[in-house]
Amino acid sequence: MTDPTTDALVPEPASATDGYQVRLEIFEGPLDLLLFLIRKKKIDIHDIPIAAITRDYLDYLDRKDQINLDREAEFLFIAALLIYIKSQMLLPRETDLAEGEDPRRVLVDRLIEYQKVKAACSLLRDKEEDELLKWKRSFLPPLPGAGDIEFLEVSLFDLAATFSRVLKRKEAEGTRTIKGKDVSLEGKIKDLLAVLAAEESIDFLEYFERQETVEDAIVSFFGLLELIQSHRVRAVQDELFKTIRVWLRRERGKGHGS
Amino acid sequence: MSDELRPILECLVFLSQEPLTLERISAVLEGVPEEDIRRALESLAASTASPDRGLHLLHTGGGWLFATKPEYDAWARKHLQIERKTKLTSASLETLSIVAYHQPITQSEISAIRGVDSTGSLKTLLEKKLIKIIGHKKAPGNPLIYRTSDRFLQYFGLNSLDDLPKEEEIAKLLQEDKSTEV
Repeated sequence: MTDPTTDALVPEPASATDGYQVRLEIFEGPLDLLLFLIRKKKIDIHDIPIAAITRDYLDYLDRKDQINLDREAEFLFIAALLIYIKSQMLLPRETDLAEGEDPRRVLVDRLIEYQKVKAACSLLRDKEEDELLKWKRSFLPPLPGAGDIEFLEVSLFDLAATFSRVLKRKEAEGTRTIKGKDVSLEGKIKDLLAVLAAEESIDFLEYFERQETVEDAIVSFFGLLELIQSHRVRAVQDELFKTIRVWLRRERGKGHGS
Repeated sequence: MSDELRPILECLVFLSQEPLTLERISAVLEGVPEEDIRRALESLAASTASPDRGLHLLHTGGGWLFATKPEYDAWARKHLQIERKTKLTSASLETLSIVAYHQPITQSEISAIRGVDSTGSLKTLLEKKLIKIIGHKKAPGNPLIYRTSDRFLQYFGLNSLDDLPKEEEIAKLLQEDKSTEV
């Protein structure tokens, strides 16, 4: 079943909420339609003229634009039930049916139950309308546009892609390494952690831009991967293809004796 | 006693985003009889009802909570830049009221009453945390069993399921409907 995404209605002032608003054009289901037809014809629900109601009901089904097609089967099911009931009533019988054996009984019970649900709904709707006028702190949505960034935890691929972008940029700068120097992974991890401890969080791009050589950058990147893998830091990206921010994971970092 | 308690209770309720229960308050105010607390809360509620206050203390969702008064809704919405407030869809409300009155209940039982599949509505209601799953039924297919949540009570301003509209109210409404149509 498909729910409309939002059924947003302008809240009416409290005084205008009297009475039950029946939406005649959109039926929630076959029982809803049946109840509508019964009410329209002012029929006693306990004594439904099945033939007449079935005709009206099928007329509505023909005008399918008023019915959600996903629910066609459910509407047809009730149509079949109506026809079945009529056939049962037409069958000649030796003796008159006792009260409880009325073939319409199954349907009537369901309709009465459904009618109760609809009434309960309208009472609850009134309460809902009253309550929606009272604003509670827990229901407060953030003010629109108040810097609500949705963070996106990044995958290894995002990290790698961002990294290769940095490398390309570095190459384009035409930096040249004159003298090789040993860059140790441990050293870079220590450096990363020191920067993280001092700055709380770092900008992935910015940090690598600061690296002197491509070797430094590559080893730093390995260091970062290592730290992510051991859950000592957290890498989060605001948006795909944007920079990645790295944080220390405080709760776990301590245990690793960094 | 009530006069001393009132400002303390006002603080405690102010700090709560969910309805503050009597049990919680008792735990904070060790040794103060619950009856005294309840009386002080009611007196606080009565004082906030005064027209010079924009907030009132509500007894809802099984606890106590501050909320803005309905007459200031338009101001609240203007400040929060919200034009409309979302209500439940008819399908969701129908499903919810069936859960409320027939709980514990399964999806197929709900769908049988409504005459339409209710899987989608149940999902929406779960997302809104108005209902919860409490387990599986020991029946073919082990269907999930649903119940209303505490948030359901708060959403409709109820304190317990006993506050749901009674059978008589429903019958009365049906009777009125009938008489207005004839």
